[in-house]
Amino acid sequence: MTALRAWINERLGWDKIWQAIFERRIPEAKGPVAWLYTLGSALLFVFLVQIITGALLGMNYVPSPDHAHDSIRYIENEVLLGKFIRGLHHWGATLMVILVFLHMLRVYFMAAYKYPREATWLFGVGRFLVVMGLGFTGYLLPWDQKAYWATVVGVNIAGQAPVVGPYVAKVLMGGDAMGAATLTRFYALHVLVLPLTAALLIGVHLFLVIWHGISEVPRRVGKGERVL
Amino acid sequence: MENKLSDGQISRRSFLGWLIAGLGALIAAVLGGSGLGYFISPVFKRKEEGWVDVGPVKDFKSGVPAKIEFAARRRDAWVTTEHRASAWILTSNNRDFIAFDPRCTHLGCPYRWDDAKKQFLCPCHTAAFAIDGQVVSGPPPRPLDRYTTKVVGGRLFVQPLQAKA
Repeated sequence: MTALRAWINERLGWDKIWQAIFERRIPEAKGPVAWLYTLGSALLFVFLVQIITGALLGMNYVPSPDHAHDSIRYIENEVLLGKFIRGLHHWGATLMVILVFLHMLRVYFMAAYKYPREATWLFGVGRFLVVMGLGFTGYLLPWDQKAYWATVVGVNIAGQAPVVGPYVAKVLMGGDAMGAATLTRFYALHVLVLPLTAALLIGVHLFLVIWHGISEVPRRVGKGERVL
Repeated sequence: MENKLSDGQISRRSFLGWLIAGLGALIAAVLGGSGLGYFISPVFKRKEEGWVDVGPVKDFKSGVPAKIEFAARRRDAWVTTEHRASAWILTSNNRDFIAFDPRCTHLGCPYRWDDAKKQFLCPCHTAAFAIDGQVVSGPPPRPLDRYTTKVVGGRLFVQPLQAKA
């Protein structure tokens, strides 16, 4: 066991990686406030669950108007544990939106976005937009009435923007009306473009979190004390 | 870790460490287990039965093979397709039936019943099969393939095989 460990360590430097990630110094936070520091890792965990369940769903899903809904019914009714896996993906998406908001609010109200962590914040904001995009594009994929009309509304909202609106709507729909091209477009965004972007942003975000360390809980400044 | 512990005592830190590891293992087991089940579920899937009703048994004449055509539905996961299929039906007593796959076992050509010779003849490579499907002459490697049959309530059902690629 120790021989194996030494072997791995020599090639990968695993102990150092472990130290850098899990044994770094973090500010002391006590009581309920400490729980606010768990939101980021909760997000990372849910993201991993979404990747796994999403990959599984992709094995039985077809992004075509003819078969999208049937393939989802097939997952729900006939695939072993299909209902559970789809449920995880569905609720994971909802949880992710909630968590990303809470995490962002926590960082904002604790002023953790300030120097030197501005870049961490910016990559986090990018991540927030990607989560919204994943939610929007994923919603269409079941291709039922709710999905269809919700997307019509979403596309129309984009279409309201001055000057570029109509063009944005056209790009989103992949044509002049909602149809097969819209579905494949949203599918490609949902499973290729956005997850890859998300993974990239998370990588940088996490690197910066470790590089800078995380900020302390802000405290009230007493009389005569100066804020750095 | 610095505080001295007597034998059998667990420090708070190592307790929490084990707790995290345990919960992590539980989550991994549930998530990994169900994911694995989903992934390998085709292994457990039962084959579709796909019985086709081809009509009342009294319509078949004893001792004379009859070619029947019917529409077979095939379910391929979420896609259901209907295709035309046929079979040669043979009976000697209108109770026991044999249904032959209408493709020659050599290369899949459709064969016909020759009433004069009392044989099934395949035009492609001059194969001949006896009425019971045994090879009489020609290149076929095995007797005619059979579909499973059953009689329910005076009607004949056959179960066409899927074409092997």
